[in-house]
Amino acid sequence: MTSAAALSGRRVLELADEKGLYCGKLLADMGADVIKIERPGGDPTRNIPPFWGDTPHPERGLFFLYTNTSKRAVTLDVTTAEGQALFRRLAQTADLVIETFEPGTMDGWGIGYQALNENNPGLVFTSITGFGQTGPHKAFKSSDLVANALAGGMYVTGVPEDPPVVLVGSQAHIMASTCAAVSSMIALFHSTLRGEGQQVDISVEEVNLAVTHIAGVGRWLEDRLIPKRIGSALIAAVPSGAYPCKDGLVYLIVNRPLHWKALAQWIYEVTGNDIVLDPMFEGPTANRQPVRDLLDVYISDLTARFTVDEMYHEGQRRHLAVTPVNTATGVVQDPHLAARNYFVAVDHPGVGTLRYPGAPYRHAGTPWAITRPAPRVGQHNEEIFCGELGLSTETVGELRQRGII
Amino acid sequence: MQALQGVKVIEFAYGMAGPWIGRLMAYCGAEVIRVESKKRPDVTRQYVPPWAPEMGMQTQLSPWFTDWNAGKRFVALDLTRPIAIELAKRLVAHGDVVVENYATGVIGRLGLGYAELNQVRPEIIMLSTAGFGDSGPCSRYITWGPNIEAMSGLSTLSGFPERSCTITQYAYPDAVGALHGLFAVMCALDYRLRTGKGQYINLSQYEATVGVIGHVIMEYLANGREPARRGNGSLHAAPHGCYPCSGDDRWCVITVSTAAEWERLCHIVGQPEWLTDPRFATLSARLEHASELDRLIAEWTAPQADYAVMATLQAAGIAAGVVQNVEDQFRRDPQLAARGFFEEIEHLKKGKVVATGIPLGLTGTPGRTSSSGAAIGQDNAYVFGGLLGMSAREIQDCIDGGVIETADPP
Repeated sequence: MTSAAALSGRRVLELADEKGLYCGKLLADMGADVIKIERPGGDPTRNIPPFWGDTPHPERGLFFLYTNTSKRAVTLDVTTAEGQALFRRLAQTADLVIETFEPGTMDGWGIGYQALNENNPGLVFTSITGFGQTGPHKAFKSSDLVANALAGGMYVTGVPEDPPVVLVGSQAHIMASTCAAVSSMIALFHSTLRGEGQQVDISVEEVNLAVTHIAGVGRWLEDRLIPKRIGSALIAAVPSGAYPCKDGLVYLIVNRPLHWKALAQWIYEVTGNDIVLDPMFEGPTANRQPVRDLLDVYISDLTARFTVDEMYHEGQRRHLAVTPVNTATGVVQDPHLAARNYFVAVDHPGVGTLRYPGAPYRHAGTPWAITRPAPRVGQHNEEIFCGELGLSTETVGELRQRGII
Repeated sequence: MQALQGVKVIEFAYGMAGPWIGRLMAYCGAEVIRVESKKRPDVTRQYVPPWAPEMGMQTQLSPWFTDWNAGKRFVALDLTRPIAIELAKRLVAHGDVVVENYATGVIGRLGLGYAELNQVRPEIIMLSTAGFGDSGPCSRYITWGPNIEAMSGLSTLSGFPERSCTITQYAYPDAVGALHGLFAVMCALDYRLRTGKGQYINLSQYEATVGVIGHVIMEYLANGREPARRGNGSLHAAPHGCYPCSGDDRWCVITVSTAAEWERLCHIVGQPEWLTDPRFATLSARLEHASELDRLIAEWTAPQADYAVMATLQAAGIAAGVVQNVEDQFRRDPQLAARGFFEEIEHLKKGKVVATGIPLGLTGTPGRTSSSGAAIGQDNAYVFGGLLGMSAREIQDCIDGGVIETADPP
């Protein structure tokens, strides 16, 4: 399959912490040769819990395993002159570098964009940092939580009586990674056609402002509205929210006038409530804004009479956007995902087989694939330093002894 | 020169998840032609300004219209008519990429499925993006962003332990789907540059969203248990939380990830004895006593202004950030201001509007947004006359026959 992958032949060097790992994964699972460059001893992200089998181990962290599929890995101390020289040689063979150091760090080591561009003018050099390469906060410390706070997602997530709350799973970093992958591919497109590389400057804060823009500045400047936490409902859709069934919650949202009519009819059929059929509730959401709480009472009277599954399938039969509120168990056991073979088994030689979430998109001509599990520390040192850069085994051994590899 | 100059995109899409892809591509210089119909206006075309509801439905004024559609070309075709389908195919014959997010099956029934489009343009890259994807028992089910948050596990796995469904106000899966969709398209364009081959791509927003929390779902896959909800807490850092500050609904988050940072924090908070306090002296002790530690830090933050807490801690190299709302971002975030993040865009009806910036960071080929606020069919003449070379007579015949809809006067 590798030969038919969309990005086969593309080489990527990844010097990334948790901000950039998912970017490398997106590229690697599409067939790019992503070489992960870790400090000797391995990257600290290997130790992020929880672990497979609850055994703390650098090859068992679930975040690390998930975000490093299909990559190869070498160790290299790029803070040393010899490490930098080797990195420069690798960079001459690369289409793309992904890095997450503080702005200016790689320039300080003589391996920043300008330096690498001299010998590889088409190179795309993607930097992912908390705040970007410029501006008064460029040296500020960031984290997933900090980026989520500044970018505004937290302010509008959760219920009003709780503090703001973050989404699970480092979504600010995941989105920065995704945007970095998008930008890198756009820059590579330009470079392939016109021979010009460039530095891509990804700010985690900015990416997440863009990701949350539905509750963003347009709403405030034009609609004069500061979105806030309002629980499970969506402010722009009435009715909307999580409603209790016999055995769990469903999420229901009415976003078009027709959907409201279908829902009102259903409520009437099941509960006999004919107030819901009043034309004053029809039309765009604006007409229902003042009666949101009342409509929620009517809807809960409907949902409480059914199981989640009944509400889900009958609601969808009526062209209503009703879905279950799933736990992880519900997701893994979902018959729809099973029918699409979403989860994929990955063999970890000597350890066992682990199932992974699969392709986020399906290319008919160039299949997505996890071609190998996350690499062990320095797993491909010989393959790359000896096999590709032509270093002798003795040289590699000597560099290893001196802690450079 | 812009990075995607020369790329032509034809869009049949509603809402955000499909249209945002074209918006980002147009920002990078692609020519994006959006096909709409007055008979089935998009959500952003059914906008009633909350500041003047008496104006009624306004098709050009929604801020989300700018966010999702600025910079495109707009044509109006009634796709229920066979001649309109022929015109759409002629557009595709000029195109590189087709993006569609109609309900699964609809585009094929219209006669614009991949098989048909491949006939008129073998190199075409077509992305179909929908809630559940194009196969499986629920493929025709309809969803909006929050439905996918709920389906994917995101809303159950996020949030405080006592809350069973935490939903965002920004339809997060729409952004997830659009960014993954654009990445998928760019990979296909890269492949086409090297091989000349186009292809069909299918994206399920549900699957893409499970993918962004894949490592969380793996706690079940690997260890057979439901991941616990942790609110703003962390399994490997403490303190790690959101703390109240002075004022109404004002908060600052703080994350401490190294022993050196912890030591500095203790001194700043004025509690150097915490360094030897058995509850807090080590990371594992702090994790065990995280809620107690959070309470004590909250006592320190509560009388202070949020931006002051952030400034004090950042000056000491500790990650901290205000929980900003939109007004804060626009008025009080010097970083966003210095980088010119928000974009001022020409608006055909309003003069100028300010929109959330596009964060692609292409320093060599910076993007820009040409304009916003176009009517449905605004660019009919440019597209049908200019690009397709139809005569004025042919266009008029199509208008008379109800195939091409004319733009409403401004």
